[in-house]
Amino acid sequence: MTLMRLALRSLLLRPARTVLTIISVAASVAVLFSLLAFNTGYQKGLRNQLQQMGVHLMVVPIGCPYEAASLVLKGGEIEGYLDERIVDDIARLEGVAIAAPSLMHAIVRPEDGRTDIYLGIDQRQLDLKNWWRLGDGSKPSPDLLASDDALLLGYDAALIEKREAVGEKIWVPEIDSEFTVTGILEPTGTQDDGFFYLPLATAQRKFNLPAQITAVQVRLSDPSQAAEVGDRLEQLFANAEVIRMEELLGSMTALMDSARALILAIVAVVIAISAVGVLNTMLMSVFERTREIGVLRATGASRLHIFSLVWTETLALTAVGGIGGIALAAVASRGVEAVIRQFVPLAPRESMTEFDPQAAVICVLAVLCVGLAAGVYPALRAASIRTIEALRSE
Amino acid sequence: MNDGEYVIQARDLVKTYTVGKRRVEALRGIDVSLAPGEFAVLLGPSGAGKTTTLNLVGCLDLPTSGDLTVAGHPISGNGARPTEAALDLLRRQHIGFIFADFNLLLTLTAMENVQVPLIWRDATAPGRARQLLERVGLAHRLTHRPDELSGGEMQRVAVARALINQPDLLLADEPTANLDTRTRDEILELLAELSTEGVAVLLATHDHELADRADTVLRIEDGVIADD
Repeated sequence: MTLMRLALRSLLLRPARTVLTIISVAASVAVLFSLLAFNTGYQKGLRNQLQQMGVHLMVVPIGCPYEAASLVLKGGEIEGYLDERIVDDIARLEGVAIAAPSLMHAIVRPEDGRTDIYLGIDQRQLDLKNWWRLGDGSKPSPDLLASDDALLLGYDAALIEKREAVGEKIWVPEIDSEFTVTGILEPTGTQDDGFFYLPLATAQRKFNLPAQITAVQVRLSDPSQAAEVGDRLEQLFANAEVIRMEELLGSMTALMDSARALILAIVAVVIAISAVGVLNTMLMSVFERTREIGVLRATGASRLHIFSLVWTETLALTAVGGIGGIALAAVASRGVEAVIRQFVPLAPRESMTEFDPQAAVICVLAVLCVGLAAGVYPALRAASIRTIEALRSE
Repeated sequence: MNDGEYVIQARDLVKTYTVGKRRVEALRGIDVSLAPGEFAVLLGPSGAGKTTTLNLVGCLDLPTSGDLTVAGHPISGNGARPTEAALDLLRRQHIGFIFADFNLLLTLTAMENVQVPLIWRDATAPGRARQLLERVGLAHRLTHRPDELSGGEMQRVAVARALINQPDLLLADEPTANLDTRTRDEILELLAELSTEGVAVLLATHDHELADRADTVLRIEDGVIADD
């Protein structure tokens, strides 16, 4: 028989109360851990996605640049267009390696519960996305966009359309056109997977937007010149907005940091409430076990032993709650992510809730500290009980 | 404790309490001596001072005045001022308690209840706990919890718990109050047997029938030991 064993057994005296207290601790730890894991995963995913794009600057029609960038990345439709002649002007600028135009158009199909994003691109987009691969491992050649009815499918788009073979026909009633699948891209882990790619000229004609584009994605010879080239672009094109991708990342993470600070404050309140719950549970336990404490003192326990016993019970309670909370967060992370994804701008395609062992340890240690602090008063109360009065109590 | 010493030597013990503005004299100068192996009964009605006496000789409380030595350790008088830690240690090493309502821990088995006093010594002795439970006739109840035991069985577990630290002194406060006559006799027999093995037993009771089993009977009334 050890003090720890006695402490654990004592918690079983009122199992329902113990379980409820553990649940309250677990819930607050789960929220704290989810928040930390989400923050890490979101930043990492966002950075990866932006880096994978190989795009250092983005030129879009004037308006809210972050909304525009978000729409471009997520496949939304932008109000307003750019004249396609801007692309050659941008390409001629010093430091610009590739300037790739695109025209985006969304076809909403509420009856199927989906929105198909058609993206008009040309050779330059293939040059920019030089990591794109076809099923056989080869890079997509310009020939795939050579014919008027060519349609290159992103990996997810092909799954949605249930198309597996090159040469299959796809009928798009909204624009009264039939396309021929010229290739299916391998998954990239980005929004690119969900798009239907067609030749830029075809897109302009079919969507009735002659010589219009929605964005120019720019790769620089030297990414460190992004700010300088961006300034020059803004001077040259008054009707366009220039988005620096690093700035975008910084702004998005700053927004997330603000939100995180608010949520952390809420979590702190939740943890404080669960600490009060622990304190209440332990205090009630001490009051109910006054006579037992007297008996333990009679058998030779010192005040320090009684203090340690109650403190150990609190420690056990919060430790189980803390570890349970981490497990709960790990199990529920997919569901939580699905909910969060709907509210987060620029949500990366890869998982945003990454299990971070360091964060798990921090959360458990934090809740242990809170629990230990909450256990001090009940432990002191227990230790200060006078033995003969305790033995007299009912 | 040295050979030939009394386990308890109390002279002119006084204990007064203050209840509100009222001063209550629970003990008014009692003398108690108990030798190793002696079985004494402290007999008296409710409120006579029996429990107060047990609390003092059990080092759970300190007398207001008088001389008290327990297991060779001066507790009161002659300048003795033991610390609380010293009293804890004395109880841990020399004294075992038995209560009227058993006071077992409900979430522990009989084996675990018996070993509770060892926790405070950072010791474990499952073999000795088992031996003691076998000795009190509970070999078949080792893993049973208190709610699975009868009153007599619970008191036997309490006796085994009181003996786990091999005490010199066993203090029993109305140990048979909640037991039927047959079980009461069995418990008394057990305590008498323990006294023959050298353990000093001081049993507080209001039951006159118990006095017949004792080596010594101390009649207490209104905080004073009455002359026989």
